[in-house]
Formats: sequence, C-alpha cells, structure tokens
Amino acid sequence: METTFISLLHGFEVALQPANLWYAFLGCLVGTLVGVLPGIGPLSGISILLPVTFGLNATQAVIMLAGIYYGSQYGGSTTSILMRIPGEASSVMTCIDGNAMAKKGRAGAALCIAAVGSWIAGTFGIIMLTLIAPPLATLALRFGPPEYTALLVLGLIFLAYMSSTSLVRTLLMACLGLMLGMIGIDNMTGHFRYSFDLAELGDGIGIVPVAVGLFGLGEILATPSHKVVGEVITPKLRELLPNRQEWREAAMPIARGSVLGFIIGIIPGSAHIISSFLSYALEKKVSKHPEQFGKGAVAGVAGPESANNSASTGAFVPMLALGIPTGPITAVLIGALMVHGVSVGPQLVSEHPDVFWGFVASMYVGNLMLLALNLPLVGIFVSVLRIPYTYLYPMIIMFCIIGVYEVSHSIVDVWIMLIMGVLGYGLRKFSFDPAPLVLGLVIAPIFEQSLRQSLIMSNGNYLIFLSRPIALGLVIVSAVLLTLSAISFVLKRKDWRAKLAEAETAES
Amino acid sequence: MDRRRFVIGTTASAAALAAGPAFAQETFPSHAVTIINAFPPGGANDAVTRPLAAALEPILKQPVVVETKAGAGGQVGAQVAASSKPDGYTLLSHNNGISGYAEVDKLFGRAPKTTRADFIPLARLVADPILLVVNDQQPYKTLKDFVDDAKKRPDTIVYSSGGLYGATHLPVALLEKATGVPKLRHLPTNGGGPAITALLGNNAQASTQATSATLQHIKAGKLRALASFGGTRSKILPDVPTLKELGYNVEYYLWVGIFAPKGTPPQIVSILSPAIEKAANSDQFKTAVTNLGLEPGYLNAKNFAAFWDADAKRSDEAVKTIGKVQG
Repeated sequence: METTFISLLHGFEVALQPANLWYAFLGCLVGTLVGVLPGIGPLSGISILLPVTFGLNATQAVIMLAGIYYGSQYGGSTTSILMRIPGEASSVMTCIDGNAMAKKGRAGAALCIAAVGSWIAGTFGIIMLTLIAPPLATLALRFGPPEYTALLVLGLIFLAYMSSTSLVRTLLMACLGLMLGMIGIDNMTGHFRYSFDLAELGDGIGIVPVAVGLFGLGEILATPSHKVVGEVITPKLRELLPNRQEWREAAMPIARGSVLGFIIGIIPGSAHIISSFLSYALEKKVSKHPEQFGKGAVAGVAGPESANNSASTGAFVPMLALGIPTGPITAVLIGALMVHGVSVGPQLVSEHPDVFWGFVASMYVGNLMLLALNLPLVGIFVSVLRIPYTYLYPMIIMFCIIGVYEVSHSIVDVWIMLIMGVLGYGLRKFSFDPAPLVLGLVIAPIFEQSLRQSLIMSNGNYLIFLSRPIALGLVIVSAVLLTLSAISFVLKRKDWRAKLAEAETAES
Repeated sequence: MDRRRFVIGTTASAAALAAGPAFAQETFPSHAVTIINAFPPGGANDAVTRPLAAALEPILKQPVVVETKAGAGGQVGAQVAASSKPDGYTLLSHNNGISGYAEVDKLFGRAPKTTRADFIPLARLVADPILLVVNDQQPYKTLKDFVDDAKKRPDTIVYSSGGLYGATHLPVALLEKATGVPKLRHLPTNGGGPAITALLGNNAQASTQATSATLQHIKAGKLRALASFGGTRSKILPDVPTLKELGYNVEYYLWVGIFAPKGTPPQIVSILSPAIEKAANSDQFKTAVTNLGLEPGYLNAKNFAAFWDADAKRSDEAVKTIGKVQG
C-alpha cells in the first residue's frame, strides 16, 4: 500500500513535468473534439495520430493517446443530449433522457451532470486501477465465454427495463434487434447469413448507423409531422447549471454507474458496450419513479454517462496488468507503447515504472483538465440550440451522413442509416421505443458467439454454465430476477408497465 | 465576378481537370497516394502500414494516406481495392487472408468476389513466423508431448483461433495433417487478441499465433512455445525449434504485403516498387517494425510473387483439409 503511494507520487513527478502536462492536455483536447464531432471516433482518432507520437518518448505517447481515448468519453454525450445523435454505441442511452432534458430547457444541466459524472467515474476508475489492478486483472481473465453468456442472459432480462413503453412493445423491438443482429458471417461455420451478397454485411449491421438512424434521423423526420411552433429554446446563463434537486437525483446514479461501469470495463472483449445500457436499466429498476425515464430523468443521464467513463478506465486494467487488449483501442495503445520499445505485459510495472506510474498519474490530471475543459464549453454547446430548426436540422442530417460514413468508410452503412431513419420515423408514429432494438442488436452477435464457444468448450454440455463460479452467480441473479417478475405477474400486481399498457390501449 | 468571366473561369478549370490525368502519368505521383488497409487498427496490418506510409511520404514527395476499409476478415478491403481505378494512387495492404478467399468461396459453392489474379504483388513487408503455443497450465514441454497426448485424446484439446479459415486457423490444419493428429477442437474467436485472451484464461489450451503477438506472454512465462512454423529459428526466441527441424515439412507465416490492383500500368509499378523498397529498408520503418517484435521480412515484387504462389498453395491445402465445418 505504502509502496503504491510512493510509486504514485513518483508518477505525479513524471506527469507534472511541463512537457508531459502539455501532451496530456493535447490528448484531452483532441479527445473532446473527437467525442463531440460525430463520425470520427476515438479509434480512428488514435490510429491517425499514432505516427505523430513516433517522435515522442513512450510516456508522452501513451499519455497523449490515452487522453484522446478517455477524453472522447466526455464529449460523446454532447451530440446525444443536444441533437439526439449518438456518436458511439456507449452514448445511445444518453440520447433518451438527455435529449428529453434538453427539450425541457435543461440541456445545460444535462451536459454539466454528464461532465461531472464522467469526472467522478473516471477518477474512481483510476483509484481502483491504482490500488487493485493486478488481482482484478487475473479475475478478468477468468471471464471466458460461459461467463459472457451468463452476463448477456442478464442483459436480455434487463432489456425489459429498457424502454418507456409496455412490455409487449419493448419485447417486439428487442426481437427485431436480435434478428438484425443475426446478419453477417457465421463465425463458427463461415456461412454468410442474410448478406445479400454484400461483403460489407459480412461483419453484421453496425450499431452506430442503426442508432444514428433510429434516434437522430428518425427524430428529425418526425418533427414536421407534428406542430412545430418554431420556438427556440434559449436557456439563460444561470439556468445552465443543474439545480440542487438535480444534483441530488444525480448523486446515487453516478456512484452506481461508476462501480458498475468499472466492473464491466475490466472484462476483456466487447462487454464495455453494454455498460451504459445496463446502468440505465439498473437506474430504472431501482428508481422510485421509473415512469419518468424517457421524459427527462436525471438518473437516465447520470448513470449511463458515468458507467461508460469508468468502463473506459476499467479497460486499462487488463491492458496494463497483463498486456492483453480489452478491445481495439487498447490494442492500438499497446502497439503505440511497443513501437517505443516498451513491452506491455505483467512485467510492465517493474521494467518501466516511469511509463506505468506516469501514465496512471497523468490520468488523474487529465480527468481534471477534461472537467475544466468541458464545463465552460457547455455554454457554447447549448447555444447550438438557438439555431432555428430550418437551419439546424439540415445540418444535423449532413452530420449524420458524414459521421456514419466516417466510422468505417462504408456507403452501405449510410444506406443502413437512411433505412433506419425511415424505420425510426415509423416507430415514432406508432409510439415504439427504439432503445430495446439497439440493445438487441448489440447483444445478439456477442451472445450467439459466446454461447456457441461455451458449448464448443464443453462439447455440447450445458452444465458448463453452472460449473464455473462466476457464470453460476450470474445465472442465479437472472433466475432471481425472473422469479420476482413471475411472482408479481401471478399476483396480478399492477406496476408502472401495466399502467403504461392500459394507457396505450386507451389511446388507440 | 460577372457571368461571362465565371463561365470562362469554369471552362478553363474544367479543361485543366481534363488535362490532369494525362499530365499526371508523366510525373507520378502528382497527388496523394492512398493505401487501403483491409484490417482494423489493433492488428499487425495497421501497425506495419502506418509506419510504412510515414516512410513513403518523403520518397514519393506526396502525402500517403492510410484508409481503413475493414470487414469480413479483410474481404471488404480487398474488394474495394480490386474495383478501384488501377492508376497507382490506390494500393492495398493485406495479409495471408488474400490467398484464401477464393478457395473458401469454392468450398461453399459461391462465386469468388476477388481472386489472386485481381492484384499485382508489390512488396512483402514483414513475415512473422507462427508459433504453436500452450498456456502455463498445460503439461507439454515439447511438441512430441503435445502430439502424443493429442493422439491419445482426439477432439479434447481446445485451440483458439482468430477466426475460421484465418491465418491463425490454417496452420493448425497444416500441423494436424503433418503430424497425423486426428483432430483438435476448434474455438473460433473474432481476432488474434481475443484468441490469445482465451488461451491465457485457459478457455483454450493451445493456439497457433504470430510471434510478435505472443512474445510478451512467452517471456512472462504465461505461454510456452512448443514449435515455430518459421523456416529458421527466430532471433528473438532462439530456443524454440522449428517444425522443419522436428521433421515436419510445414512452414507458415503471418505476413503483410502491399498490392496494386490488376491493370496498374507497368511504368507506375516501376516507380512504386523501388519507392516501397526504399521505405521498407529505411531505419525509421525498420525500428518501428523491430520494436513491435516483428522481423523485417522485405521481399521485392519478384520474390514476393514467388513466395505468394507457394503460400497460396499451402493456404488452399489447409482450407481443403478443414473443409466445411458442421455448425
């Protein structure tokens, strides 16, 4: 413990050198821009800037590149809140309540809460990283296909809490999402499924084009069909900050989101994508007012935004402690270190303490910088809403198209987004919520792969899900949740969801 | 600007545009060259192509842009490059995968989207020998231990790969065929990283992975290399015997090469080839590649073409050995 503290102090010595501070700032600045601009994601941002770092030393390179990564998590919420465009899969959930808050004139508050939540979550993640990275990383390795499968079963159960519509509508959307998730090459046999001879569909349908189409474009297409009063929301300066009530509502979700996100973040693979979804569902489950979700609930912004930030910090645990990448971004960071002759692995801390502790310390500093960078920007971002719809909406459509194309330079993705935009319009007209569809699409490919991998490992024996402790624990949690719902169903207790269904029937 | 001057202006620039390509051919390259990278960042292709592009810029005196067109195990990028204009301004960075698509398509009765004939090989940049690795919880110390046990317990030892018919799957098929091991159980994942993670977490017991990707874990004692698929012993891991030494005539590398689409004029190829050779032999590129744990394995266009033919034969043979997988 004491040695950790001394090492960390040494790390701060490294991180606070003017040159290193400058590169941390540069990384955070680029990261914020990358996060705000739709289309250019952290992965492309980092890999484009990688050759620039060849002239720096290893510590500076990793400080700057990592800054881009966690910095982008701060900015990611901006377009979600202001324009309902999710720049990345992890900010899909922020669209719902964040944008609803913006419509109520609380855009500034939503942005502030997202920034502060991100800062708390990021700092929490680094503290955990400093203290218990090595044992945690070993635990993360035990998270194999059976554990993934069990986690995603839990995710499927949480699907039911994803939307502000009745259970039937939610499940219908989720099924559609799961079906869309079936498209692509079957990883186990090599068959193309529903690909219509397009190689671009080989990897399945991307989450970003679907989310941008359903949320962003669908929203814009639906706007002219109801009465547009042409009223522009112009928040006053003092309304930019969250009020006391909003801070109170945000506190616990930020705390829960930080812990949940960090745990999911350390799992190698694509689990971090679902951290914000799970956090949203969790907040709704524990909330005393689940009916407010979808209509501008503060918890619906605070939870997921904190979760995705602490997940991005959690992702550094297996990378720094074991040298295994949790995803493509950490893989590029490992590559960046290796180019400088620093080999990443269990021996990183002992062989290159300067790099390791300098990097960790720079994240504390970087997160503070990001907070200082993002809070003043809130005022500027919010003024985007002053632009009349006539000018703003065509610009948003343009951003959607450019952004989606830039993700993987694929015109097929643009078509997918346009089709999803039309679908999103239809869903809106018939009051369906697209969020469960997106989660279904996220879960389906990972779920299928991990289920089939598990069965390969066990030679077809389903007991593998019960014979491994972590998997068993997750299965039990799922079983308990299902039983609880079944009991309340049998007892015919009406919850908020049944009331919603009644209201929907009355409408039609 | 009045209307007449506007019209004259646009006509003039249109004429300049029309004259452009003819002029450009004489002084190739007259604008930015794009290298399509068929694999996402985080893999060897990205790690090798970006330093190459950086080293190529001062030689060609034009910007060299790396454009990622990833998807379907590299097929998307190959297809985009194959259908791009063969003027030397669009090149392709690809790896072993480019050899195998046609054979896999044949297996499934699909019309191949791209074949090897669609590309002109320009240079091989690196060739990373594949290693047979097991995790530290396995008892095997030598290849013989492994082979003997695998023969005793067919379909029990699980090996992870980065994907079906991919560069880390095919070598196992070659190994099975050469050693007479009846069958190892295949655990496909989606990439080299996840495959190694599965091995480290003992969700798989063995894997065939590139030297650079496993080096750190071997040094840390988490993985053990039983044999190398390289022609000679690697300088980085001199204790690991090659399969050839052990009596099996098997060779396999994860290589990265640069291609031009079919139909690229020979005079442009003759400008590009020496430029790439110079870039690949620059200290800047060599240092970047060596630090990644790769041995620079530059081959010029002619030698690379011969290597590619031999490699494609190996790859086709492995695909045929694996055959169609029961779902």
